[in-house]
Amino acid sequence: MRKLMWYLMAWLLAGVVIAALLVTMANISWGAGLGFAIPVSLIYGFVAASAFYVCRSLPFEKRQFLLTLVIFGGASLLSGLMWLLLCYAWNYLAQAIRHSFLYGADTDSNLTVNLIVITQPMSVMLFVAGCGFYLLSILVHDVLIALDNMRLADRRAAESRVQARDAELQVLRTQINPHFLFNSLNSISALTSIDPIAARTMTLELAQFFRQTLALSEKEQIPLTDEISLCRHFLAIEKIRFGKKLQSDIQVSDTAQTALIPPMLLQPCIENAIKHGIRDLTEGGTITLRAMTRGDWLHVTIENPVDINPSTTVGNGLGLKNSQQRLRSLYGEKARISWTRNTEFFIVEIAIPLSIVNL
Amino acid sequence: MNPINVLIVDDEELARCLIREYLRAHPDIVIVGEAEHGLDAVKQINALNPDLIFLDIQMPKLTGLEVLELTGRQAGVIFTTAYDQYALKAFDLHAIDYLLKPFSQTRFDEALAQARKSIAQLVNPQATAIQQLLSVPGKLLDRILIRDRTQVHVIPVDKMEYVEAQDDYISIVSDAKSYLKTQSLSELEAQLDPKKFVRVHRSYLINIEQLKSIERSTKDSHVAIMRSGKQIPISRTGYERIRQIM
Repeated sequence: MRKLMWYLMAWLLAGVVIAALLVTMANISWGAGLGFAIPVSLIYGFVAASAFYVCRSLPFEKRQFLLTLVIFGGASLLSGLMWLLLCYAWNYLAQAIRHSFLYGADTDSNLTVNLIVITQPMSVMLFVAGCGFYLLSILVHDVLIALDNMRLADRRAAESRVQARDAELQVLRTQINPHFLFNSLNSISALTSIDPIAARTMTLELAQFFRQTLALSEKEQIPLTDEISLCRHFLAIEKIRFGKKLQSDIQVSDTAQTALIPPMLLQPCIENAIKHGIRDLTEGGTITLRAMTRGDWLHVTIENPVDINPSTTVGNGLGLKNSQQRLRSLYGEKARISWTRNTEFFIVEIAIPLSIVNL
Repeated sequence: MNPINVLIVDDEELARCLIREYLRAHPDIVIVGEAEHGLDAVKQINALNPDLIFLDIQMPKLTGLEVLELTGRQAGVIFTTAYDQYALKAFDLHAIDYLLKPFSQTRFDEALAQARKSIAQLVNPQATAIQQLLSVPGKLLDRILIRDRTQVHVIPVDKMEYVEAQDDYISIVSDAKSYLKTQSLSELEAQLDPKKFVRVHRSYLINIEQLKSIERSTKDSHVAIMRSGKQIPISRTGYERIRQIM
């Protein structure tokens, strides 16, 4: 409502400007000038509101000089023409109204047919003014749309920050996996009498793993190599638990080492690979992790064998969906995590826009 | 006194080692076997009929609870688990003994003493407790276990197309194969998600997700057409039920 008021005020002002021009150019009375210009301007205001759609149909990122010129120019020329017609029409109508108002229905009187006399230069001036007003309207709408977009983008950014924070909390909650901790402690308890050195190694690995988890999860992004080291600690512990059933093969290309990723992105994948893959296989298997850069992308693939009969509790994919949500809130549509399962393997593929740590 | 035969079931070698070590203090106990996963456990329980089983809950292939369900074993069980909120609550509720990993020799001995007592008794208090535990109401099944002589079939409930009641047993149809199980249809119905499985007829329970369409067969009777093409009669009350869900 307030917006509309402002809009009408602006057009009122335009009307006054036109009236002033007419008064100085054609030497007509202020009364006639205002009476002519203001209603026309106000009506034209509604026509010019169409500029909003013109602007929106041509978003900033799609604007090419020529195309923009043709569309905006065409729209304003057309509107200018409409404005001129409007002027003529009102000029006639206003006089008719005035006439009937002043003299009743007496149409015989031979007064002027029009409110003011529109000469040719005046027509040109009016046409130019109409076009100009329309162009001005386009400009104003453009600015308003841009401001609106900015506000929207701001809000989206704030929303995604909140989402990212939620996802982080979720990660923190899941990473303190009680199962993993208690089972590891049970293994240590068993090892103390069988193999005290292994018990100590496992204790140290466990401590390292938790320390790194805490340190890394505070950060927004970490170099891939840090996450890999975390995964290695995790695997070392799980290898003590599961023995030779669990094998791993990790290969990270040199360029990928320093690529930045959100913390705790890969470790849960490794954990899943064990929980829903290797653990079910009587013979065990190898978890393969490959990380490399290709163009502007970091690609990570994690692959693990699975039981051919998917009879066991196949994961519900919640962990992966969580990672997906996390990537979306951090990178928008630019990052991707996908997973496929065929009869023998479960494969997770991650692609993240490449950004390198500055050392 | 007769020696007590023990079976250790755990998928982690070290966890089994620990139990072996703790058992060394009890010379009257003979370890007759060890199982690495649920299916192996089922086989060994059937073959060896041990007096006592140390049973891990979270295991590949089959969980500890499913092992009990399949073997019908109801006594002489000590559960071991690292962390399983659901199971722990259920155990506490039914006063079933369990060992929480990591556990001490003292705690282990206590559980063992308890088990000895119940093994010596002819009437086992644990039996009813385990029976109750396995039929805990309110917990929805996500897979169905079917024992077929030496084999065990595990059918995810989502893959189940329909179940038909036949005399004393039910026939479960999944992936174009049918399996027989001794259970009543109502019993199974109670364990399944009522939003996904509907009793459309006295003798039929169908999976809504496998339903293709419902057609009118006569003036006031309907028939369910499944995705596989199978037609299943719908009773009047069944029609009401299915309409409420859809």
